[in-house]
Amino acid sequence: MADTISLAEARSLVARAQAGDFGALEHLYRAYAAGVYTLARRLTKTAEDAEDVLQETFLEVCRSIGRWRGDGSLWGWVRTIAASKALMRYRREKVRAADELDETASGRGDDVPLRLDLEAALERLPERTRAVVWLHDVEGYTHEEIAEMMGMTASFSKSQLARAHQKLRRWLEATA
Amino acid sequence: MDAAAVDRHASTDELLAARDGAATAWTQAHLSACRACSAELFRLDQVRARLRGLPAFAPPRDRWTAIARQAQAERRSRRWHAAIGVAAAAVLAAVVFAAVRPATDAAAEQAALERAMTRNRALEQTLRVLEPERRALSGEAASVAAELESRVSRLDVQLGEPDMWRGDPSRRIELWRERAGLMGALVDVHVTRAAAAGL
Repeated sequence: MADTISLAEARSLVARAQAGDFGALEHLYRAYAAGVYTLARRLTKTAEDAEDVLQETFLEVCRSIGRWRGDGSLWGWVRTIAASKALMRYRREKVRAADELDETASGRGDDVPLRLDLEAALERLPERTRAVVWLHDVEGYTHEEIAEMMGMTASFSKSQLARAHQKLRRWLEATA
Repeated sequence: MDAAAVDRHASTDELLAARDGAATAWTQAHLSACRACSAELFRLDQVRARLRGLPAFAPPRDRWTAIARQAQAERRSRRWHAAIGVAAAAVLAAVVFAAVRPATDAAAEQAALERAMTRNRALEQTLRVLEPERRALSGEAASVAAELESRVSRLDVQLGEPDMWRGDPSRRIELWRERAGLMGALVDVHVTRAAAAGL
């Protein structure tokens, strides 16, 4: 998602928000809610989880608006909070990477339909793998940044991306 | 053409690196010679383009009212806690300047309380020096800091309600010690970020 708020406007809104103007915070919510919700839908299991991430993200924005340095994209800052909130759910749920990599255990290996569109194929990826694909290929985070957010290594992020693309290729081949 | 460049196909890892502009010399040489890998690179690029073209989702409900209500409640709570902090400092001063008492269990408890409160004050001072409000944290670190601040706030609420510990002085000491632990963790978060930023 492109940032719809210019840097000058962002600085003005943040200054107002720090002075206690909730109208400025609402403006940010209206501008970024769809972007945050879309990111959260891609990184979480359910629409309800994504709604929770949306709420947690903007609560964090309200609490921490003074921490934005003012020298980079405000959307980038909000987006990183949203990604962290979504990824934090993995830790809470104690999802282990090894569990997700085990296709047999997850039942995702042998019963794949012959034809999947991209949306369905993406949805079928294990949660953490899907997060890597989305954060890297769509949001443009580097493997190092993803590793920091997920508490993993950059090599893990790279290998997840490669495995994901191998699976997507297999699932999408019949539809190409 | 170097024969070594075509003795195997490029891996998905290597092709993804090439797609992201970080191809190795071997991958570049191989791609110029291998039609299959060039086609696969093109396909990977197309998948990324299609991923970026997937439609956005619209939130099913407007959450702003709930968010604003909670944020305003937290803001009021923080102001109140700040006032409690001042009151706590006054209590500490009273303790320090109190008349000498006989060496009893009560005096030992008082000394333990004083140590815990002094530790909290020292950590508050350290945190002020770090100027956390002027330093941007990464999203994850910011989340951790917010969670720690929230837990400190909850402890402050308990410390501000004497009914919760009046009948059990040791409980009050535990609360101050727990608060010192959280403050220590909060300082660590900001020190780590300061170190990472080379400050």
